[in-house]
Parts: sequence; C-alpha cells; structure tokens
Amino acid sequence: MSVLRVGGILLATIVVQLTVFVDVRAFGVAPELLALVAVLAGFLAGPERGATVAFVAGLLWDVWLPTPLGLAAMAFATVAFAVGSIGAGLFHDSRLQISGLAVFGTAAAVIAYALLGELVGQRGMVDLELLRIAAIAGLLNGILAPLMIRPLRWALHVPASTRLPAPTRP
Amino acid sequence: MALAQRTGRSRHRLILLALTAITLLTVDLNGFGPIEAAQRILRDSVQPITSLASTAVSPVGDAWNSVFNYGDLEAENAALRAELEELRGAAIRGEADTETLRRLLEATELPYVGDIETVTATVVRGAVGNFDDHLITIDKGSRQGLEPGMAVVTAAGMVGRVDEVTNATARVRLLSDASLFIGTRLVSTDAVGLGHAAPGDGGTFVIDRGINWPDTDDPSLLPELGSAVVTSAESRYPADIPIGRIAAVERVDDVLMEVTVELANRISDLQFVTVLLTETPESFPLDDVVPAPTVGLGLDPDLLDPATESDE
Repeated sequence: MSVLRVGGILLATIVVQLTVFVDVRAFGVAPELLALVAVLAGFLAGPERGATVAFVAGLLWDVWLPTPLGLAAMAFATVAFAVGSIGAGLFHDSRLQISGLAVFGTAAAVIAYALLGELVGQRGMVDLELLRIAAIAGLLNGILAPLMIRPLRWALHVPASTRLPAPTRP
Repeated sequence: MALAQRTGRSRHRLILLALTAITLLTVDLNGFGPIEAAQRILRDSVQPITSLASTAVSPVGDAWNSVFNYGDLEAENAALRAELEELRGAAIRGEADTETLRRLLEATELPYVGDIETVTATVVRGAVGNFDDHLITIDKGSRQGLEPGMAVVTAAGMVGRVDEVTNATARVRLLSDASLFIGTRLVSTDAVGLGHAAPGDGGTFVIDRGINWPDTDDPSLLPELGSAVVTSAESRYPADIPIGRIAAVERVDDVLMEVTVELANRISDLQFVTVLLTETPESFPLDDVVPAPTVGLGLDPDLLDPATESDE
C-alpha cells in the first residue's frame, strides 16, 4: 500500500464529495463516498489494512461533518473490519457483488455512524429518516462502486481478481 | 496458525483504532484547542481546491437540479407568480404604495442593523453530509472578523448564527434547525419568549416557551395575527432582527401560549447572507439551549440555561 496513493485517492474523494455531491443528490440524499472507500478498502485489503484506511477516510470526513471528530472514523473502521473479516467469504470479485457489498456496507456504515452519534449526545440522528438515508446512500454507493474499485486497487496495490484471503478460524 | 495470528493482529488493530477514535471524540467534545486548530488548518488548506473544483463542476449540479428538481422550480415559479399578482393588485388599488416603497427600501438597507458593522458573504455550499441539512458554509471567516455566535441575516431578517469559523470560511447553523433556540419578542404585545423551528418543518418557527396565556379571555390581550416577531433585546443577538409574522396562536396546558410564526426568510434558498459583527457575550453557551418549560415575561430565556448559570 502506498501512503501517497491512498492519500491522493482520499483527497480526490473528499473534494468530489464537497463539490459534486453537495448539489447532486437523489431524494435529498448524497452518496457517502468516504464510506464507500472504507467498505471497498475492507474488501480489497482485508480487515487489518482495510480498517486502517477506513479509519483515515472517516477521520477526514469528520473534519467536514458537524459531529465530533472520530465518529465517522470509528464507524467506518468497524464496518471495514467486518467487511474484511466476513464479507470476503461471502462476496466474490464481480461487479455485481461488489455493488451489493457497497450497498449493504454503506447502509451499515451510515447506521453505525448515526447510532454512535446518538451515543455521544448528537440529537435527532436515529429515527425513521435514518433508514431512508441509509437505503438511498447505499444504493447510490452501489452504483458508484464499480467506478471506485479500480483507483482503490491501484492505491492499495491489489491486482484485479486477487485480494487477501478471509481470515478464518483454524 | 498463521491465519489465527493474523486474525488476532486484526482484532488488536481494530481495538487500537477504536481507542484512538474514543480519545479523539473525548478531546473534541471537550473543545481541545489543538484538535480544533488542526481541523481548521485542514479545512483552510483544502478550501482553494474545493473552491476551484466547485466552479468547474457547477454545471453538473445545475444540470442535475434542472432535470430532477424541475417540479420544485415549477412550484416556486407558481408561488412567485401568485405573489407578484397580489402585489400588482395592491398597487392598482393604490392602497399601500407608500408603505410598499418604504418596506422595499427597508429590505434593501437592513434597517434593523443600525450602526452594527456587517460583512456580506456568499453561500459556498449547503449540507455536505446526510445529517446536516441545517448547515451552510459561507465564504467569509475569521480573517473578516467572524466569530462563533454572531447573527446571520438577510434583508428579510434572521437566517441563523455562525457556528464554526476557519480563516476563510464559516459554518452557519440555520434557523430551520429545531435545536437552535432564539430569544424573541412579539411586537404587538411586547411579550418575550423562546422559539425554535418546528421539528420537520424548517419553514415554521414556534415560540413555545416563556409566554403565558392571558388570565382573562380578552382577545385584545392576544398577539395580533400577522404582526411581526423580532429578536428580543435580552437575547444573545442584536435586538429587533425580524424573524417572521405570527400565523397562529394556541393555548397549551391551560397556562402557556404557543405562537406559530411564518419565517420571513426562505431559509432553503440562500445565496448571499450578512453577518452582524457583534461581540458575543462569553457567558452564553454555544451549545443548544434547552431551558425550563416556563419562562417568566421579561426574563432573558438564554440565561436560564444551567451552563450559563454555572458560568456566572
């Protein structure tokens, strides 16, 4: 993994999120690009490296969010760890399955972020609206996942159709 | 064996990351200066890139909005047309020409501002995430003298308050946020109360704390429908900033009065705003103010926050 490459991808992602997806929203919901990076990093690089990349992605996103620093970082790292540990055994490296993984992973990351937010005293994050946001953001990320996977492979030095095997119990 | 070792290492890494996140959360929630400064520096560093990128990709956003928000634009046009026709009718009848002109002049000159120094800013972006609908970012920051807590207005009246400031930008919490409480005064009765946006309806403001229902059922003691609501002199913001007009008055729990206010501003559609460069009293907490449910007339509702009391 090249730190510079990952840094470059994260910077480009945050710029796109802060410019394009401020206006371009579906039913008022924007895709969660940093969550997408986190989920795909978990899938491609495994639970250890993936969780680290996801943590940094979340930390970067936290800087622009009104919630306390560390909230998205924790949510994204946890989801990336889960994706790297469990998802690798369930999903294969096909476009459709990567999109499916992005849908569920993003929804999980959004819900985890909101739940953690409520836990640290951020009001009004957990309600029925949360499910709508998680579902739409997940679907949008599912559409964008095939576009994001190639730059992430390049940044994480993971060739196509190869990634770390899922860690399993001996 | 190797797999088991890797699983254990992964778990250790996750625990380490979780502990780091918890530490960051704790220090950030306590307002640890260096963490805030680091965030400001990062936001300022990326600002020129996002500014440039915004200009480059703005046609994408415009195209998207013109395709997918066409219905909203149509509704907005219809509302504006109706408003225009109403104004034309009034002009023809010649009943309020002078008053209309006076109001127009007042609206363009921010009459309620008085001698307060102001800074006009452009809204550079709305919500960035999916949980911050009530925040906008403006292109002026601490370099122009902005500080957290300052009132943000347009010619029509109050828009919100400055929440966070970097060198080049500031984040504004809009009045449509139901957790933002404002000390208000009803012009027709001089009653002072505490209001906030109605949850789920950012265009409506509700004053539900601090104003008691009159002891007698004399309708003349009730605030007049359509009369103005402004910021109270004792609130953290300058006095007499317009908030809106009274749309309904209701009795709640036999004691309290709930006043529904139609906001003067279209909060969802802002391009330019003005920040009033007033000094924010340090004793006012910037966190959301949740006071006791009843506040006596004439009392400063903001001062009823326990954090404020302890500060004093």
